[in-house]
Amino acid sequence: METSSAKTVTGFGQKDWVNSRTLGLILFAGILMVAMAVATPSFLTQDTFFSQSRYVAFYVLVAMSQAVCLAVGDLNLTVGAIGSIITVGLGLAISPEFADLSPWIAVPLVFAIGPLTGLLNGIIITRFKIDAFIVTLSMMFVYMGLRSGISGGNSYTIPEGFWWLGQGGLGGWLPFMTIIVLAILWWISYLYRNTVLGRRLLATGSNSDAARLSGINTKRMVVVAHVLSGCFSALAAIMWASWSGNAAPQTGDDWLIISFAVAIIGGTGLSGSLISPLGILVGAVIFKLIQHALVILKINDNYSNTLLGGLILLAIVVDRAREHFGKDGK
Amino acid sequence: MSRNNVFLVVILTCLAATLGGIKWYQSEYSSGAVEPIVLYLPLPHPYCNAVGEGGYAYAEDTGTGVRVVVGQESTQANVNTNVESMYTLGHQGFAIYPVDPAGSKGLFARLNDGGRQVVCYGAEPMEGSAASFAVATDTRQAASQAAEELIRLMGGHGKILNVLESLTDANTPVRKAAIEAVVAKYPGVEIVQTVGDVTTEAKAREKIESALVARGDEVDGVVCTGYTTTVAASVLLSERNAKSGTKRIHFVGLDTDERVLEAIRLGYVDATLAQNPFGHGYISCALIDLMQQGWKPVEPYQFIDSGSVVVTKDNVDDFQSGIQQVTEQIVAELKGRYLVQP
Repeated sequence: METSSAKTVTGFGQKDWVNSRTLGLILFAGILMVAMAVATPSFLTQDTFFSQSRYVAFYVLVAMSQAVCLAVGDLNLTVGAIGSIITVGLGLAISPEFADLSPWIAVPLVFAIGPLTGLLNGIIITRFKIDAFIVTLSMMFVYMGLRSGISGGNSYTIPEGFWWLGQGGLGGWLPFMTIIVLAILWWISYLYRNTVLGRRLLATGSNSDAARLSGINTKRMVVVAHVLSGCFSALAAIMWASWSGNAAPQTGDDWLIISFAVAIIGGTGLSGSLISPLGILVGAVIFKLIQHALVILKINDNYSNTLLGGLILLAIVVDRAREHFGKDGK
Repeated sequence: MSRNNVFLVVILTCLAATLGGIKWYQSEYSSGAVEPIVLYLPLPHPYCNAVGEGGYAYAEDTGTGVRVVVGQESTQANVNTNVESMYTLGHQGFAIYPVDPAGSKGLFARLNDGGRQVVCYGAEPMEGSAASFAVATDTRQAASQAAEELIRLMGGHGKILNVLESLTDANTPVRKAAIEAVVAKYPGVEIVQTVGDVTTEAKAREKIESALVARGDEVDGVVCTGYTTTVAASVLLSERNAKSGTKRIHFVGLDTDERVLEAIRLGYVDATLAQNPFGHGYISCALIDLMQQGWKPVEPYQFIDSGSVVVTKDNVDDFQSGIQQVTEQIVAELKGRYLVQP
């Protein structure tokens, strides 16, 4: 009886593996892949897959740190600043010139800073009822100042013994980073599709007042979202440090634009309630494919940011048009 | 199975079949050719443009394929993203400016593991990196040279405003130490103030102007050891020194922006140190080309001083020939001095 009851709760009646928007994204990514495979023979190689899939994995983590906040109707401007604090912390803990701790001790210790900073953001937002934009903007400067003050702008060496996480892989073609991120995506997908907590998070983003009136502790959901966001930022920072072999305080400076771009391209609703982990994965693939295409096709590098900005804008316009026509349809 | 699920299966099956077909065709009928050398410039910048000209010149002189690529921003993350994309295309040699000397280490290791040659230009990589060469100005020597020149202009005594650039640039502490060491040799000279943490021309102008407003009467000379600070100080001191009746503040900078050269030409500022960005590009490409022909480095890592020249009013219009001679001399010495046949 218990099992049968659980079955009726989990899944929430969803039969589709992907929604129609994500299907469209997969089709677009597929067309891009075919175009690039035709353009250059080196595209369909083991090296390309290994190299580019690591970026995709990294972008997914950065985007998830924003998407979980967007899904509850908030945003988080501290994603990169938390990443930089984690990086400096990792450098101090693991670098031979400083604490020289074993990665097995240092990484869990430093990782904990991520959810703690998220918890702090969430508590300030909910307890003092201040807009998330203002809180996270202020905290971004706090964290960035801390990282500069602590590090003095200097990078820390990551011992080669810890490079395996970011640089290693299975069979020379499947990076460990990719495997870990795919597992995380499965877990987060399960969380949002099949658990009560996930549905409460989405309900909070969909209509906070209605969710509160139906008994959901919406403030707690906002805090949970920021804690999750901190976890993703921490994971992204640790993986990047291992990958680059270096803990640079500037890490995270460019994450904000990536976090919004990939999350939005991946179908995360700007006004909350919508999150698609698979969509974010495909969004990250598209984002990276376009960056790779700029290099392959020798497009004037000076205009590449213009192209990326245009793509993000296009994704938002398509999203808005979809919402608009969707409403008309109703 | 729902309609969406059917579409998903169809799309993924078609994609796999199409990509498989393309791969098969390419393996049977086509082979891609790419330039063997990549000269990577971190961002659009006058220094980078001059390095790029060196790369183009090498390609023209020798017929070797050189791909000059400009990044979007001067961060290690951006360098990694672009270079790894080019690595997958099959380019065999990379000349890279180590934006973050420590951060470049992982990238260089990956390139090296993939059998690619790596040469740094503009600055030295971190000790133990996989780069075979660094082609750059000897940072310590150039900063010392600039300080010596300034003290000579000041008549061997007076107070100096030392303007440094980005704190995160590995060269900054080297320059600071070199200038302080030179000043320590002269009992009549002291550094009245050091300003730094400057990454943009606007910030440099703001900081230098504040220092001059506060201590203008005390300062006898200004030394700048970065591009942005040199341009900002030249513009400010040109305005100040052009006014009659104001105390002349001597100036020695680094790099050769046209605004700096014009200020020297007009006599508003004294001197700047010309580096050899053209040589950074040209010599780096030559090294990679020779290594691809089978020449081996004499040592696992070697530093090649690309030279520098003090530019004053006397040589402002013909200093380039001196720089060009240095480049030619280094290129002529590559075989034998830095590289040997196995």
